[in-house]
Amino acid sequence: MVKSMLSANHAMAGLEGRPRNLFPVWLSLILIVLWRITVDLDIDFSTLAYGVSDMGEYFSRYRTPDFSRISTYLELILQTLATAFWGTVFALIVSVVLAPLAARNLSPHPLIYRLSREMLNFMRAMPDLLLALLFVAAIGLGPLAGIIALSIHTAGFLGKFFAESLERVDGGVYEALEAVGAGFLQTVMFAGWPSINREFVGYTLYIMDRNVRAASVLGLVGAGGIGLELNEALALFRYDRASAIMILIITVIIVIDHLSSYLRKKLN
Amino acid sequence: MQKWHWPTPNGLPPFHISIVVICSILLLALSASMVEISYNRIVNGWRPMVDFLGHLLVTPDWSYLGQLGAKMLETVEMTVLATAIATIVSVPVGILAAENASPHPFVYRIMREVLSFARALPELVWALVFVSAVGLGPLPGVMALAFVTVGFMAKFIAESIEVVGKGAVEGIQSTGGGRLQTIMFAIMPQALPDFAGTLLYILDHNLRAAAILGLVGAGGIGYDMVISMRMFEYDRIIMIAISIYLIVTLLDRLSDKLRKRIIHGKVNVIR
Repeated sequence: MVKSMLSANHAMAGLEGRPRNLFPVWLSLILIVLWRITVDLDIDFSTLAYGVSDMGEYFSRYRTPDFSRISTYLELILQTLATAFWGTVFALIVSVVLAPLAARNLSPHPLIYRLSREMLNFMRAMPDLLLALLFVAAIGLGPLAGIIALSIHTAGFLGKFFAESLERVDGGVYEALEAVGAGFLQTVMFAGWPSINREFVGYTLYIMDRNVRAASVLGLVGAGGIGLELNEALALFRYDRASAIMILIITVIIVIDHLSSYLRKKLN
Repeated sequence: MQKWHWPTPNGLPPFHISIVVICSILLLALSASMVEISYNRIVNGWRPMVDFLGHLLVTPDWSYLGQLGAKMLETVEMTVLATAIATIVSVPVGILAAENASPHPFVYRIMREVLSFARALPELVWALVFVSAVGLGPLPGVMALAFVTVGFMAKFIAESIEVVGKGAVEGIQSTGGGRLQTIMFAIMPQALPDFAGTLLYILDHNLRAAAILGLVGAGGIGYDMVISMRMFEYDRIIMIAISIYLIVTLLDRLSDKLRKRIIHGKVNVIR
């Protein structure tokens, strides 16, 4: 849709005088598509309107959080954080190995470049929960499955980010090291990573942030953390417990969010 | 191998890097028992993994193709609908949450807090909540996706509005333009390329998210995924995984191309 809008814009730029305004055409096309989708998905927004008062009643059930099982929750939150941390570290290790191979200007061979790019793409494309589901089936319930899933998925992201940053580094920096006889590893180590150290930390923090969020739902498929507890609370209609768990998750995530944005600001 | 000499005065790795590495290793060691990682587990963990991968090498269940297509279409439709709803909500909210376009600092602060709340929980948690509120089906999925997306998109929009050049804004104001006119004709056109980049990024993210919403019964391919996992129907799992990979990659490539065309790679969505 955006593509066609763009070409319309280009066409408009070529005309003289007042260009034809194609905006209404595109808008109505988009609206028709969206309407078709709502029909196809069988979504009826009027039920939503009727349901507003019900929704009010429903959400009021969350009003009295029940913190009586707080020690269990805290333990599970810690497990969630540990899962996210382990996942991030593994992802970091994998991506630090793969990224230089996937950077066009550093990669020892175009074939290696293509292969490692494809590998990163594949890792990124698999949703982490799907991977967690698979690994739970493979190695059993528990946070280890979650860690593996998180690290595979986010190594794909980190590897791509790092590779792109490494590609943006000025070619002279690499040449300088190669000129004094540095090998591939030495070029990567002493020209590549130091040139992108800011992005490196920024992306890693972003991924850590993201992994904490993701780890909090891994429990839904039995891959450890607080998610299972939340699922059970809702399945048993214990909205007071669910509310307590959600408050805890939100607090942790907001704290981590502020911490990482503080660290990022300090770096710049 | 020749010993490496770090480009520091004493030839050793820089102090702060060593500290971070040592602390991380300590943290990992401390939390190992918490995440049930042990030597035993690592040594014996390979066999079930290899066995499992062996299970995945099966001929796909072609008779499932029709249902798979329908479910994938549903996933994509949920993504598009949720992103569209979120965009409509995010533009005004984003304007209110931008420091230089917000009518009042107080509104700006409140909006920022609301957005950070919307972003805090993953889609899946909201999907759980909405499923128990409005029942199974794509509706709670779309609601959850749209809700979280507003949190991200409005923040990105607000940030791209905040970096807009002052010149055009003053230009409009000097000719007597009001607030709405300033936003419409000075701020929006400058922030538009950023918007497009953000939209593509979000679409990408939402497709992945929509693919797993079915885990909690909120529509899309996720439900089939769980069911075939429970029934050990590896011939279906493999098809689902491949089709998710294909569709995500397709969108990824497409949005990469578009993004390059729109902004020549100058926008960095993740800050």
